[in-house]
Amino acid sequence: MPRPAAPPTAAEDKIERAEIDASTRLPVVLFYGSAIFWLLVGSFFALLASLKMNNPHFLDQWGWLTFGRVRPAHLNAVAYGWASSAAIGTGLWLMARLCRVPLRYSKLVIGAAIFWNLGVLLGTFGILAGDGRSIEWLEFPNYASGMLFVAYGLIAVWGVLMFRFRQPGHVYVSQWYLLAAFLWFPWLYSTANILLNFEPIQGGAQGAVNWWYGHNALGLWFTPIGLATAYYLIPKVLGRPIHSYYLSILGFWTLALFYSWNGMHHLIGGPFPAWMISASVVASIMMFIPVITTAINHHMTVRGNFGALKWSPTLRFTVFGAMCYTLASVQGSFMAIPSLNVITHFTHYTVGHAHLGLYAFFTMIMFGAMYYILPRVVGWEWPSARLIRWHFWLVAIGIGVMVVALTIGGILQGLALLDPGITFMASLDYTKPWLLIRSGSGILLTAGHIVFAVSFCLLLFKVGAKRTEPTLFGTDQGREPEPLNR
Amino acid sequence: MNRMPVIIVGIFLTFLSSWLGLVAYPYLTLGRFTPVTDEATGDINPPTLSGLAVRGQRVYASAGCIYCHSQQVRQVGYGSDLERGWGARPTVARDYMRENPVFLGTMRTGPDLTNIGARQSSAMWHHQHLYQPTVVSPGSIMPSYRYLYVTQKIQGQRSARAIDLLPPDNAPEGYEIVPSAEAEALVAYLLSLNRNYPLPEAPEPPQ
Amino acid sequence: MIDEPHQDGPQPDTFEAHRESDDLNVRDVHGAILREKDDPRDGYEPIPLWLVSGFMALVFWAGAYLAYNSGGFQSTVFDPSQVAWAGGGAGAQKAPPDPKVVGKRLFTANCVACHQATGLGVPGQFPTLVGSEWVVDGGDWHGDNHLVKILLHGLAGPIQVKGNTYNGAMPAWKQLKDDQIAAILTYIRSEWGNADDPITAEQVAKMREETASQTEPYTQAQLQAIPAIEYGPPAPAAADPAAAPASAPPAGAPAAPATPGA
Repeated sequence: MPRPAAPPTAAEDKIERAEIDASTRLPVVLFYGSAIFWLLVGSFFALLASLKMNNPHFLDQWGWLTFGRVRPAHLNAVAYGWASSAAIGTGLWLMARLCRVPLRYSKLVIGAAIFWNLGVLLGTFGILAGDGRSIEWLEFPNYASGMLFVAYGLIAVWGVLMFRFRQPGHVYVSQWYLLAAFLWFPWLYSTANILLNFEPIQGGAQGAVNWWYGHNALGLWFTPIGLATAYYLIPKVLGRPIHSYYLSILGFWTLALFYSWNGMHHLIGGPFPAWMISASVVASIMMFIPVITTAINHHMTVRGNFGALKWSPTLRFTVFGAMCYTLASVQGSFMAIPSLNVITHFTHYTVGHAHLGLYAFFTMIMFGAMYYILPRVVGWEWPSARLIRWHFWLVAIGIGVMVVALTIGGILQGLALLDPGITFMASLDYTKPWLLIRSGSGILLTAGHIVFAVSFCLLLFKVGAKRTEPTLFGTDQGREPEPLNR
Repeated sequence: MNRMPVIIVGIFLTFLSSWLGLVAYPYLTLGRFTPVTDEATGDINPPTLSGLAVRGQRVYASAGCIYCHSQQVRQVGYGSDLERGWGARPTVARDYMRENPVFLGTMRTGPDLTNIGARQSSAMWHHQHLYQPTVVSPGSIMPSYRYLYVTQKIQGQRSARAIDLLPPDNAPEGYEIVPSAEAEALVAYLLSLNRNYPLPEAPEPPQ
Repeated sequence: MIDEPHQDGPQPDTFEAHRESDDLNVRDVHGAILREKDDPRDGYEPIPLWLVSGFMALVFWAGAYLAYNSGGFQSTVFDPSQVAWAGGGAGAQKAPPDPKVVGKRLFTANCVACHQATGLGVPGQFPTLVGSEWVVDGGDWHGDNHLVKILLHGLAGPIQVKGNTYNGAMPAWKQLKDDQIAAILTYIRSEWGNADDPITAEQVAKMREETASQTEPYTQAQLQAIPAIEYGPPAPAAADPAAAPASAPPAGAPAAPATPGA
């Protein structure tokens, strides 16, 4: 084992970072670009699905636009098209930077990006054509999921190899989460697809495998990438250490142990042995441990410097996301308690919770990551602070309204369903005004995404005057950033 | 200290535990059922599906019915499924052994369909409901599945398979609405959905 | 991206001198990297005690919850409110169906072709079961053991039933299970006005074991040579053939000559 080199001087550090950023440029830009494309596509499908719930006759002449196909097209476009592409781009850049190794042979990763996008394209339009499998989170027909798995294999190998050949030194918490995500996801994806789509097992067992996968896609793929990003960006932008290494360890290992057992909470009351359901209920409540641990770690790191959120887009999106991680996870733990679950199960409350997690937590952190990383790999600052401001407020208000509307509507629906004296149609009637509000929030969100896409294009094509200063909130209004509390 | 082996082993073992509990165990205990013969009636439960109904499963998956409808009757005292008449007993894993894929569902924008074949045993009702759900069930937000139906000119006599539409909808003059093969298959599948037979692990709930 | 004091501002020449490759647009990237802070590092605050206590309490709760809501960890218990401790039954087993109901179904499936649904048979061809001395105890040479033997191995050759002669062949039904044969016999002994004790699966099983070497259907003469045994009403716990009258030799031992098909 070679003697660790002397710590690099500031100048060597910066050259190294420049070299790493340059090596990751094409893969990151490709993944981010395709992520933003799929965000627009997914938003379009989401809006369409929401409008169809307001007016069932809207565009119902054709099979390829029926609600039952548009809704899974939305889910898969945002899950595998937007969220996973953003995760991969962010994960590769973070791993390269933290391991302090450049991404070599990046052309293979570029090939993987193209293959990945082809898979999502074939899969999404396969669903619209009627080839969807109707297995939640695994609707892609086999020809598409096979492509995704092959593409992902390359990506995971690169991620793990960078860790293997990292520079000697302390391994930071983000690297644990990234390594774990890169290893867990292919195992999850291959097992679930084989047992449910390629060589389906008997129906009685399918539900368990389905939701073992569905929940773990959130908990062991998106969540670790999101947390790795937050653990990097928050202390990096502020220049402060993470509050406690010990809390990081506790948070990581309890997440690894408990999160993977949560799957059956999607099936509480369902046709499965009681112990499986109870095990998932217990695991869901035990999630309080990693969630509160991480919340303390992040909060104590930022404490005294919340003023920075006025200036830094990266920090604002990331801290928003990290707070919503805590909120969504605590909500999820409570939802798993059977006496509460009996109200929320099968209602729009669950949809609101899903968006609190995958959007308000994960997507917002990905936005934060993109605002930080893209200037470094493209070599151009964000052209317009005003566009960033519009982006933030449109999506923040949009997701806030959406979650609140679906939560209230869902609770009303659930309480009505519980009472056999209330007709089923009445439970549906309770939801209608809230679904209308949800469509309104969808318009806000889609508008925010269009603003972000415009911003991204302006950056990519290096539009406008060259800047040497970062694009911060308030610079378009002539304000100066305040100093930080160290 | 080289952290990589420790982290990798930990990552592997924690994940393996859930794989054993939520994948391997269900496969072994819930994925290898054989049907049960009812001593009293001699029926084989769960009953086999006709070929048309198996095709209907594909149509159900292709149309995405699970995104509004569930297919599970929950336990006694857990929700009001039994009180709403959605089943004579809670469903158990063996009930789904012939379903592929299984359509448990997670939303009840529409009612549960586990026993819809028992509640609505008329094929004509199902065709009408698929074609014009907001007329058959006022207040429903179910979209029309008329893309599964064919509007064809009446040749001489009206087809025996033609469906009658409820007012205010009607077929154009001289035309009739006939279900496509997919619609027939879907309705055959819906009519097969009946889990009111007894199983050893699924006793009738106390009245 | 908060501004920090630059050390020396960008000095392209100095950095270029260190670079071997030249096409990485290092100069362009420097703007953002120059103002970057060091990579994140760990602080070492201890884990708060209240956090640890809270987590221990959660672990305790988790154990208790699992113990009370897991149905004994059986794969057949679906209702979490059912607490099946060790030794408890797996799930709530349905009570076994009424043997008479089962027997009627099996009789209809297997026997009505000859004996008819009315049990009256066909005169001259298939004997009646209604009020037949072969089926219900008439105080003559016929015994319950003979009935079980007939079901297991069949009956051939001329026989007398209620004063009539029949010369047919009843096939063996040993391919049916013990409880199925018992159910059929119980059914015919309680239907159409017949009234006699039920036959149990244990009795059939014992007879099957004892007559394992029988390969041909019995004849009337062979059966007459075997003393009659009345099993009597089954004991509440289980039928016990040993409760039969002690005067009989070990039940069912074929006393007929060893040559088959006599």
